[in-house]
Amino acid sequence: MKKIIIFSFLLAFNLAAFAQVVKTKTTVKKGATTKVVTKTQEPLDRAIRPKAGIAPIINIKDSEVFTTGNGITVVLSENHKLPRVSINLVTGSDPKLEGNKAGVSEIAGQLLMSGTTNRTKDVLDSEIDYIGASINAGSESIFLACLTKHLSKAMDVYADVVMNANFPQSEFDRIVKQQESSLLSAKSSPDQIASNVESKVNFTNHPYGEVMTEATLAAITREDVVNYYKNTFTPTGSYIVIVGDINKEEAIKLVNTYFGNWKGVQNSKADLGNGTFNKGNRVIFVKKPGAVQSTISISFPVIMKPGDMNQIPLTVLNTIMGGGAFKSRLMQNLREKHAYTYGCNSRISITDNGSWFSASGNFRNDVTDSAIVQILSELSKITNEMVTDEELSLTKSSMAGGFARSLESPSTIARFALNIIQNKLPKDYYQTYLKRLEAVDKGTILEMAKKYFTANNCNIVVVGNEEIVNKLKVFDTDGKIEFLDAFAQEIVDTKKADITKDQLIEQYIFAVTETTTLKAAEKKIAKVKSMKQELELTSSAFPGALKMTTLFQAPNKDAMKMEMQGMVVQKSFFDGTAGESSNMQTGKTAMSAEEIAAKKKSIGIFPELNYATSGMIYELTGIETVNGKDYYVLKINDGQADKFDYYDVKTFYKVKSIQVAEGEETATSFDDFKSVNGFVFPQKAAMMVGGMTLEGTVKVLEINAKIDGSNFK
Amino acid sequence: MKKSFLAVAALCFIGTSWAQRKIEYVEYDLPNGIHVILHEEHATPIVAVSILYHVGSKNENPDRTGFAHFFEHLLFEGSTNIERGEYDRLVESNGGTLNANTSQDRTYYYEILPSNQLELGLWLESERLLHAKVENVGVETQRQVVKEEKRQRVDNQPYGSFMGEMFSRVFTKHPYNWQPIGSMEHLDAAQEIDYINFYRTFYVPSNSTLSIAGDINIEETKKWIEKYFATIPAGQAINLYRDYENLSDKDFETKYSIAKAKFEKNNFIASKDADAQKVIKKYSAMECVIPRPAKTEIPLDKVIIDTVYDNIQLPAVFIGYRFPEQTNADAYAIEMMNSILSGSSSSRMDKNIVEKKQLAVAAFSFAFGMEDPGMGIVAAIGANGVDLKTIEKALNDEIEQLQNELISQEEFDKLRNQFENNIVSSNSSVAGIAENLANNHVYFGNANIINKELEKYLAVTKEDIQRVAKKYFTKNAKVVLYYLPKETN
Repeated sequence: MKKIIIFSFLLAFNLAAFAQVVKTKTTVKKGATTKVVTKTQEPLDRAIRPKAGIAPIINIKDSEVFTTGNGITVVLSENHKLPRVSINLVTGSDPKLEGNKAGVSEIAGQLLMSGTTNRTKDVLDSEIDYIGASINAGSESIFLACLTKHLSKAMDVYADVVMNANFPQSEFDRIVKQQESSLLSAKSSPDQIASNVESKVNFTNHPYGEVMTEATLAAITREDVVNYYKNTFTPTGSYIVIVGDINKEEAIKLVNTYFGNWKGVQNSKADLGNGTFNKGNRVIFVKKPGAVQSTISISFPVIMKPGDMNQIPLTVLNTIMGGGAFKSRLMQNLREKHAYTYGCNSRISITDNGSWFSASGNFRNDVTDSAIVQILSELSKITNEMVTDEELSLTKSSMAGGFARSLESPSTIARFALNIIQNKLPKDYYQTYLKRLEAVDKGTILEMAKKYFTANNCNIVVVGNEEIVNKLKVFDTDGKIEFLDAFAQEIVDTKKADITKDQLIEQYIFAVTETTTLKAAEKKIAKVKSMKQELELTSSAFPGALKMTTLFQAPNKDAMKMEMQGMVVQKSFFDGTAGESSNMQTGKTAMSAEEIAAKKKSIGIFPELNYATSGMIYELTGIETVNGKDYYVLKINDGQADKFDYYDVKTFYKVKSIQVAEGEETATSFDDFKSVNGFVFPQKAAMMVGGMTLEGTVKVLEINAKIDGSNFK
Repeated sequence: MKKSFLAVAALCFIGTSWAQRKIEYVEYDLPNGIHVILHEEHATPIVAVSILYHVGSKNENPDRTGFAHFFEHLLFEGSTNIERGEYDRLVESNGGTLNANTSQDRTYYYEILPSNQLELGLWLESERLLHAKVENVGVETQRQVVKEEKRQRVDNQPYGSFMGEMFSRVFTKHPYNWQPIGSMEHLDAAQEIDYINFYRTFYVPSNSTLSIAGDINIEETKKWIEKYFATIPAGQAINLYRDYENLSDKDFETKYSIAKAKFEKNNFIASKDADAQKVIKKYSAMECVIPRPAKTEIPLDKVIIDTVYDNIQLPAVFIGYRFPEQTNADAYAIEMMNSILSGSSSSRMDKNIVEKKQLAVAAFSFAFGMEDPGMGIVAAIGANGVDLKTIEKALNDEIEQLQNELISQEEFDKLRNQFENNIVSSNSSVAGIAENLANNHVYFGNANIINKELEKYLAVTKEDIQRVAKKYFTKNAKVVLYYLPKETN
């Protein structure tokens, strides 16, 4: 066991209320009643306000940190005021995308207390309750609290849950059933709905933006839960935070005894990007029948990691905006001035995997639009004008006070120590907190607001009564309100199509070839001997751009190449009879017979033309209404995967294509259709692959250019 | 005292000690009737300053319901020496935080400040008690704010109306009939004279408990309390002082037959003028009589069944019973009885109704701890597709089992361990200690109850639990409310 850090410090700074002082101890009298005889009073002018006494010392007690041989970092915060101990195990992996099984981590968390290889759930519950202890499990942590005298008994059970949870099928079934009910009741909670949607729009294709729905819940199996547990609850990279009535020696012994032999897989880290940024304001509405208030959340992602040098000034900025108590701007404006609400607040959440700002509150129906106007105007004002000296000093004092009050809870000290380690902060981060808070000035605040805040690129989420929705159009930059359901899913409404599948393909071919008869179209397409397209792809998940080149050579050859900074990261080709794909990691792989068979079903620049003869299975499933627009949906299957193509009912252009293979969904949407040499092609494409969004712009589109034959070898 | 020590000694059967941390405190009355409680501890350099006014919604006029709570909002508006909007700024800019809450029985205000700002806290609270000032603009704003509070907490919250629906049926005569949030029509109807009368009746020294806990020096604190609170006039003299500040010379003289000029503003109760002294003496001797409702309520003698349609997805059933006041000797046994039924994974309703039978997503049994005889509720939110009658029967089965069979020794031991854990863990914040001491003084007439809780719980027997289950879960006198989803679209 290696000790890495021991720190102990006293905080003593000249910030408003807190400074150095010599304290005198006073003996406390027993709780007896004493009569006080009033002496003749000095005159008292009540208009004179009391002055502060000498500022007290802020004393942050020692935290100890040590690591174990199997990779656990232990943080200990001793506090002997009460005879109790709490232990929190926090796992050390980054969250992962759960896709069509969104919610598997949540289910695993709920199931952790459902039994171990040594104890059934009944035994577990009764052993814990018998000693008055409590164990709470979540997706990424398990917490124990008990009286010191019951610690070893409690640890027996606790360690068993951490290491040997066994997720019985019957318990899994029960929790899933219970969760079905919870999902139902979540539909009636406006705050829950707003939070679902806020996460989704700020973190699209990011674990934070995944919301469990009835469909994803149904897709989760017990095996998924077991796998999640095995990959997540592992000693490497995890933390054990011990707080309370226990000394270091005992803590070391405790951890060694119970977790010394714990083994598991390596924890995993990932770069999940910074969230989804808007161009313009976006209004997202969720209907809640019968609502008497609208729940409004105005939010946007923020690029910041914990411990960033701008974190303290940004927090000051947010506190002035709406993070403080009664004196924040949002509270003063929306509650005290306009009386639109009981409370309007803002918060800034800064995490290692994504950070965001959100201002929210509940407002009676008829002031919903006025409330949005005021919140946006406060955002705009704070990004354009300096805050006042008074606001700044009030906020800094109030934050310093909050910091001091938070120290009353022993878990705060442990949380500080954990933050320092988890986020690689300087050892004296909290020691110097008040000093750095004091140093924040008005100029810095404005700089923060300009850098991180916006009134023009916000997600405006409103959960409320449908009768108010028309008043919200003005806030949406493109005037189109998006409608989502309680779980932040697009509201899809399917109707029977008014044409056949072959009529749809015909219309599509007419549209993209700008012809009116099949004969003319075929003739035009036959003249295309080759085509070359270069697409530039960017993403918030990586710097720079990817270049994707696709080539076609009549009658049946094609190739694809993906480059990053001149380096080929992936390529593939098909020469009409065989093909190959290769990438930097795995090298070359030849196409299998099945892949070749599938490939042959979609040859050409407009393969739809050949569906009737190529052996492609295709059907028109109907017309889906998504956000007020209608699309024909053509489901195709080439023997390898299902694909759903969305055709605009008015233009017949193909605007979206979703491919589902082995449970993974890849969606590509197309936009900005332009005529090039007599053919209509999209100039923009957005691809959502493996949790990443790639924005593509067509840079080169050449028809009948000369293509080097080596591309197809 | 002796008896309970013996009981404690006898209970050390598993060889460990049952111990609750003793909260030391000092308490005394000021001559004007303010009760003072001081608790000193230096772990964190903060102090909680609080005043409990013994007025809640049960003291309201039935056609002015919601007034106590509304008034709580208004008392942040300012005072003779504090401008509108300045109250919270003074606290926040000095590193503190503040809030207040109103129940059926009391209104509670507090600040948590850096300990060197204790005097500021005392001054702020003395201003609120002595001469709060409410402007019209403040009244209109807070009226709307309170309406939004009701929409947010009650109307727009699934099952948010259950307390109102239940209390209004369990109580017909007693003012527990209505909720602290009250009626919005009543608030709209309120006039200036209503505010003035409310303030003059309930916000008086003899109705106040000043409770302070934290990093303080007792002697120094007492001096400041003398300075800011002992100088507040006693009895009806506080209203004499308020008139002195607010009435014109002429009106004051008409009312009291003495010129304002005879009084000294900054030394009011010690004004040297002999006539002034006479008037002060006279009014100081006039007690402030606090109107309090009769505790009694006509007995509930039948089963009342009703249905409420709400914006919910899962139906629920709530069963309400008359429970005794929180100071009743049975209160401890009732708390333990409720813990057998709900609140932990192995409690009976959680284990049987939620987990084993999967009839409900949540089930609970709890008592509203109130000053006058109050209410207990047993309730469950149904699992999807389960009939409410089935759930109600399951709840009743659990109650009947508790009435018919003594709980096992193992369950009893568990219960005691759980209460020991809860009580040892309680009182960990100075704000919580200040509030508990004040509550205990006001409701029990004994602040030291804070140190007696464990003892009281350990004195409860298995037979007591069975007895209270029989006594208070009255099969033929209860209110059953079914919550069903409103038809939408």
